[in-house]
Amino acid sequence: MSELRKLTFGYLGLLALLTLTVGSSFVDLGGFNVALNLAIAAAKAILIAMLFMHLTGTLPRLAVAAAGLWLVILFGLTLIGR
Amino acid sequence: MSGTESVAFDTPLRERRADTFAMWVFIGSEAMLFGAIFLVFLVAHIDFGPAFAAASKRLSLPLGTLNTAVLITSSFTMALAHMLALHRHWRPTIWALVATAALGLCFLIVKGIEYGKEISEGLAPLLGLPFRYAGPDPVHAEFFFGLYFTMTSLHALHLIGGIVVIAGMIALWPTSSPANRLRRVVAVGLYWHFVDIIWVFMFPVLYLINR
Repeated sequence: MSELRKLTFGYLGLLALLTLTVGSSFVDLGGFNVALNLAIAAAKAILIAMLFMHLTGTLPRLAVAAAGLWLVILFGLTLIGR
Repeated sequence: MSGTESVAFDTPLRERRADTFAMWVFIGSEAMLFGAIFLVFLVAHIDFGPAFAAASKRLSLPLGTLNTAVLITSSFTMALAHMLALHRHWRPTIWALVATAALGLCFLIVKGIEYGKEISEGLAPLLGLPFRYAGPDPVHAEFFFGLYFTMTSLHALHLIGGIVVIAGMIALWPTSSPANRLRRVVAVGLYWHFVDIIWVFMFPVLYLINR
Protein backbone atom coordinates (compact mmCIF):
# COMPACT_ATOMS: atom_id res chain seq x y z
CA MET A 1 0.00 0.00 0.00
CA SER A 2 1.74 3.16 -1.21
CA GLU A 3 -0.28 5.34 1.20
CA LEU A 4 1.19 3.39 4.12
CA ARG A 5 4.70 3.82 2.74
CA LYS A 6 4.16 7.59 2.39
CA LEU A 7 2.97 7.90 6.01
CA THR A 8 5.86 5.77 7.29
CA PHE A 9 8.42 7.86 5.41
CA GLY A 10 6.80 11.01 6.78
CA TYR A 11 6.99 9.59 10.30
CA LEU A 12 10.65 8.61 9.94
CA GLY A 13 11.36 12.05 8.47
CA LEU A 14 9.78 13.69 11.51
CA LEU A 15 11.92 11.58 13.87
CA ALA A 16 15.04 12.45 11.84
CA LEU A 17 14.18 16.17 12.09
CA LEU A 18 13.72 15.76 15.85
CA THR A 19 17.18 14.18 16.13
CA LEU A 20 18.62 17.00 14.02
CA THR A 21 17.03 19.76 16.08
CA VAL A 22 18.14 18.25 19.43
CA GLY A 23 21.63 17.53 18.04
CA SER A 24 22.02 21.08 16.71
CA SER A 25 21.37 22.50 20.17
CA PHE A 26 24.66 20.96 21.38
CA VAL A 27 26.63 22.77 18.68
CA ASP A 28 27.18 26.50 19.09
CA LEU A 29 26.25 28.09 15.76
CA GLY A 30 26.13 31.62 17.16
CA GLY A 31 22.81 33.31 16.40
CA PHE A 32 22.09 30.68 13.78
CA ASN A 33 20.85 28.11 16.34
CA VAL A 34 17.53 29.91 16.82
CA ALA A 35 16.89 30.22 13.08
CA LEU A 36 17.78 26.55 12.50
CA ASN A 37 15.53 25.31 15.33
CA LEU A 38 12.59 27.36 14.05
CA ALA A 39 13.21 26.30 10.45
CA ILE A 40 13.19 22.63 11.51
CA ALA A 41 9.98 23.18 13.50
CA ALA A 42 8.39 24.77 10.42
CA ALA A 43 9.55 21.86 8.24
CA LYS A 44 7.98 19.40 10.71
CA ALA A 45 4.74 21.39 10.74
CA ILE A 46 4.59 21.37 6.93
CA LEU A 47 5.26 17.59 6.87
CA ILE A 48 2.43 16.99 9.37
CA ALA A 49 0.05 19.34 7.54
CA MET A 50 0.66 17.90 4.07
CA LEU A 51 1.05 14.18 4.86
CA PHE A 52 -1.04 13.60 7.99
CA MET A 53 -3.66 16.37 7.70
CA HIS A 54 -4.05 16.18 3.90
CA LEU A 55 -4.04 19.95 3.54
CA THR A 56 -5.57 20.09 0.08
CA GLY A 57 -8.54 21.87 -1.46
CA THR A 58 -9.24 25.57 -1.70
CA LEU A 59 -11.28 26.08 1.46
CA PRO A 60 -8.89 24.45 3.99
CA ARG A 61 -5.98 26.34 2.42
CA LEU A 62 -7.97 29.57 2.60
CA ALA A 63 -8.55 28.98 6.35
CA VAL A 64 -4.82 28.37 6.90
CA ALA A 65 -3.87 31.42 4.82
CA ALA A 66 -6.31 33.60 6.80
CA ALA A 67 -4.87 32.36 10.11
CA GLY A 68 -1.35 32.94 8.80
CA LEU A 69 -2.23 36.49 7.70
CA TRP A 70 -3.60 37.37 11.14
CA LEU A 71 -0.55 35.89 12.85
CA VAL A 72 1.70 38.00 10.60
CA ILE A 73 -0.30 41.11 11.55
CA LEU A 74 -0.15 40.13 15.26
CA PHE A 75 3.59 39.49 15.31
CA GLY A 76 4.45 42.22 12.78
CA LEU A 77 2.66 45.13 14.43
CA THR A 78 3.82 44.09 17.91
CA LEU A 79 7.46 43.88 16.91
CA ILE A 80 7.38 47.04 14.73
CA GLY A 81 5.80 48.99 17.60
CA ARG A 82 8.66 48.23 19.98
CA MET B 1 -31.95 7.90 3.98
CA SER B 2 -28.79 9.46 2.57
CA GLY B 3 -26.44 8.51 5.42
CA THR B 4 -25.72 12.04 6.57
CA GLU B 5 -26.00 13.12 10.18
CA SER B 6 -27.45 16.54 9.34
CA VAL B 7 -30.37 17.16 6.96
CA ALA B 8 -28.40 20.10 5.54
CA PHE B 9 -26.30 17.83 3.33
CA ASP B 10 -27.27 15.79 0.29
CA THR B 11 -24.38 13.34 0.49
CA PRO B 12 -21.93 12.08 3.14
CA LEU B 13 -19.06 13.44 1.04
CA ARG B 14 -20.47 16.98 1.17
CA GLU B 15 -20.96 16.66 4.91
CA ARG B 16 -17.37 15.50 5.35
CA ARG B 17 -16.06 18.39 3.21
CA ALA B 18 -18.02 20.88 5.33
CA ASP B 19 -16.71 19.24 8.51
CA THR B 20 -13.14 19.43 7.27
CA PHE B 21 -13.44 23.12 6.38
CA ALA B 22 -15.01 23.88 9.77
CA MET B 23 -12.17 22.05 11.52
CA TRP B 24 -9.59 24.12 9.64
CA VAL B 25 -11.39 27.35 10.64
CA PHE B 26 -11.43 26.12 14.26
CA ILE B 27 -7.73 25.29 14.01
CA GLY B 28 -7.14 28.82 12.70
CA SER B 29 -8.85 30.26 15.78
CA GLU B 30 -6.77 28.00 18.01
CA ALA B 31 -3.66 29.24 16.23
CA MET B 32 -4.63 32.78 17.34
CA LEU B 33 -4.75 31.64 20.99
CA PHE B 34 -1.39 29.88 20.89
CA GLY B 35 0.10 32.55 18.61
CA ALA B 36 -0.60 35.25 21.20
CA ILE B 37 1.15 33.23 23.92
CA PHE B 38 4.13 32.51 21.67
CA LEU B 39 4.31 36.26 20.96
CA VAL B 40 4.44 37.05 24.70
CA PHE B 41 7.25 34.52 25.05
CA LEU B 42 9.12 35.99 22.06
CA VAL B 43 8.94 39.56 23.38
CA ALA B 44 10.03 38.43 26.86
CA HIS B 45 12.85 36.43 25.31
CA ILE B 46 14.07 39.50 23.42
CA ASP B 47 14.02 41.57 26.62
CA PHE B 48 15.35 39.03 29.13
CA GLY B 49 17.44 36.71 26.93
CA PRO B 50 20.19 35.77 29.42
CA ALA B 51 17.73 35.09 32.28
CA PHE B 52 15.58 32.94 29.97
CA ALA B 53 18.64 31.06 28.70
CA ALA B 54 19.77 30.19 32.23
CA ALA B 55 16.27 29.16 33.30
CA SER B 56 15.68 27.06 30.17
CA LYS B 57 18.71 24.91 31.02
CA ARG B 58 16.89 23.72 34.15
CA LEU B 59 14.24 21.93 32.03
CA SER B 60 14.77 18.23 31.30
CA LEU B 61 15.88 17.93 27.66
CA PRO B 62 15.74 14.07 27.69
CA LEU B 63 12.12 14.05 28.92
CA GLY B 64 11.17 16.84 26.51
CA THR B 65 12.74 14.96 23.59
CA LEU B 66 11.05 11.71 24.64
CA ASN B 67 7.69 13.45 24.77
CA THR B 68 8.18 14.98 21.33
CA ALA B 69 8.88 11.51 19.92
CA VAL B 70 5.81 10.12 21.73
CA LEU B 71 3.56 12.84 20.31
CA ILE B 72 4.94 12.46 16.77
CA THR B 73 4.26 8.71 17.04
CA SER B 74 0.68 9.42 18.19
CA SER B 75 0.19 11.62 15.11
CA PHE B 76 1.45 8.74 12.97
CA THR B 77 -1.04 6.29 14.52
CA MET B 78 -3.80 8.88 14.04
CA ALA B 79 -2.83 9.20 10.36
CA LEU B 80 -2.98 5.38 10.17
CA ALA B 81 -6.49 5.47 11.67
CA HIS B 82 -7.54 7.92 8.92
CA MET B 83 -6.04 5.72 6.21
CA LEU B 84 -7.66 2.56 7.62
CA ALA B 85 -11.05 4.27 7.99
CA LEU B 86 -10.91 5.40 4.34
CA HIS B 87 -10.52 1.73 3.39
CA ARG B 88 -13.25 0.76 5.85
CA HIS B 89 -10.98 -1.52 7.88
CA TRP B 90 -12.94 -0.70 11.03
CA ARG B 91 -11.30 -2.98 13.58
CA PRO B 92 -7.72 -1.85 12.84
CA THR B 93 -9.03 1.74 12.82
CA ILE B 94 -10.22 1.27 16.41
CA TRP B 95 -6.82 -0.09 17.43
CA ALA B 96 -5.04 2.84 15.79
CA LEU B 97 -7.34 5.22 17.69
CA VAL B 98 -6.71 3.38 20.97
CA ALA B 99 -2.95 3.55 20.32
CA THR B 100 -3.22 7.29 19.63
CA ALA B 101 -5.10 7.95 22.88
CA ALA B 102 -2.67 5.70 24.82
CA LEU B 103 0.33 7.60 23.43
CA GLY B 104 -1.41 10.86 24.38
CA LEU B 105 -1.76 9.46 27.89
CA CYS B 106 1.95 8.53 27.89
CA PHE B 107 2.78 12.13 26.97
CA LEU B 108 0.69 13.40 29.90
CA ILE B 109 2.36 10.95 32.33
CA VAL B 110 5.86 12.02 31.25
CA LYS B 111 4.77 15.67 31.49
CA GLY B 112 3.47 14.93 34.99
CA ILE B 113 6.83 13.41 35.98
CA GLU B 114 8.54 16.53 34.61
CA TYR B 115 6.18 18.82 36.56
CA GLY B 116 6.84 16.80 39.72
CA LYS B 117 10.58 17.18 39.24
CA GLU B 118 10.29 20.93 38.67
CA ILE B 119 8.00 21.40 41.67
CA SER B 120 10.37 19.45 43.94
CA GLU B 121 13.27 21.62 42.71
CA GLY B 122 11.27 24.74 43.58
CA LEU B 123 10.94 25.87 39.96
CA ALA B 124 7.15 26.16 39.85
CA PRO B 125 5.96 29.71 40.60
CA LEU B 126 2.29 28.74 40.80
CA LEU B 127 -0.44 27.87 43.29
CA GLY B 128 1.60 29.52 46.04
CA LEU B 129 4.40 26.94 45.75
CA PRO B 130 7.82 28.06 46.96
CA PHE B 131 10.06 29.36 44.17
CA ARG B 132 13.70 28.60 44.99
CA TYR B 133 15.81 29.44 41.97
CA ALA B 134 19.50 29.86 42.65
CA GLY B 135 20.58 31.11 39.21
CA PRO B 136 21.04 34.69 37.97
CA ASP B 137 18.11 37.14 37.69
CA PRO B 138 15.50 35.07 39.60
CA VAL B 139 12.73 37.62 38.90
CA HIS B 140 12.84 37.04 35.16
CA ALA B 141 13.58 33.33 35.59
CA GLU B 142 10.30 33.18 37.51
CA PHE B 143 8.64 34.81 34.49
CA PHE B 144 10.16 32.12 32.26
CA PHE B 145 8.82 29.30 34.44
CA GLY B 146 5.44 31.03 34.64
CA LEU B 147 5.28 31.06 30.84
CA TYR B 148 6.59 27.49 30.67
CA PHE B 149 3.82 26.20 32.95
CA THR B 150 1.15 28.30 31.19
CA MET B 151 2.14 27.12 27.71
CA THR B 152 2.66 23.46 28.54
CA SER B 153 -0.47 23.16 30.70
CA LEU B 154 -2.61 24.82 28.02
CA HIS B 155 -1.18 22.32 25.55
CA ALA B 156 -1.81 19.44 27.99
CA LEU B 157 -5.44 20.59 28.38
CA HIS B 158 -5.84 20.38 24.61
CA LEU B 159 -4.37 16.89 24.65
CA ILE B 160 -6.75 15.80 27.44
CA GLY B 161 -9.61 17.17 25.32
CA GLY B 162 -8.39 15.11 22.37
CA ILE B 163 -8.19 11.93 24.45
CA VAL B 164 -11.72 12.47 25.82
CA VAL B 165 -13.10 13.00 22.30
CA ILE B 166 -11.36 9.85 21.01
CA ALA B 167 -12.83 7.90 23.94
CA GLY B 168 -16.30 9.29 23.16
CA MET B 169 -15.89 8.45 19.48
CA ILE B 170 -14.99 4.85 20.36
CA ALA B 171 -17.96 4.65 22.74
CA LEU B 172 -20.33 5.76 19.94
CA TRP B 173 -18.59 3.52 17.39
CA PRO B 174 -21.00 0.50 17.40
CA THR B 175 -24.07 2.66 16.70
CA SER B 176 -22.41 4.92 14.09
CA SER B 177 -22.84 4.62 10.33
CA PRO B 178 -19.67 4.10 8.25
CA ALA B 179 -19.93 7.67 6.87
CA ASN B 180 -20.13 9.13 10.38
CA ARG B 181 -17.21 7.02 11.59
CA LEU B 182 -14.99 8.27 8.79
CA ARG B 183 -16.15 11.88 9.23
CA ARG B 184 -15.35 11.82 12.93
CA VAL B 185 -11.95 10.17 12.47
CA VAL B 186 -11.02 12.88 9.94
CA ALA B 187 -12.21 15.73 12.19
CA VAL B 188 -10.59 14.43 15.39
CA GLY B 189 -7.45 13.62 13.41
CA LEU B 190 -7.12 17.22 12.22
CA TYR B 191 -7.40 18.46 15.80
CA TRP B 192 -4.91 15.89 17.08
CA HIS B 193 -2.31 16.78 14.44
CA PHE B 194 -2.76 20.47 15.22
CA VAL B 195 -2.04 19.83 18.91
CA ASP B 196 1.07 17.94 17.78
CA ILE B 197 2.17 20.91 15.62
CA ILE B 198 1.80 23.23 18.62
CA TRP B 199 4.15 20.98 20.59
CA VAL B 200 6.56 20.82 17.64
CA PHE B 201 7.01 24.60 18.08
CA MET B 202 6.81 24.63 21.88
CA PHE B 203 9.59 22.08 22.27
CA PRO B 204 12.42 24.05 20.59
CA VAL B 205 11.13 27.38 21.92
CA LEU B 206 11.14 26.23 25.55
CA TYR B 207 13.85 23.56 25.65
CA LEU B 208 16.34 24.30 22.88
CA ILE B 209 16.43 27.90 21.73
CA ASN B 210 18.07 29.24 24.86
CA ARG B 211 20.83 26.67 25.14
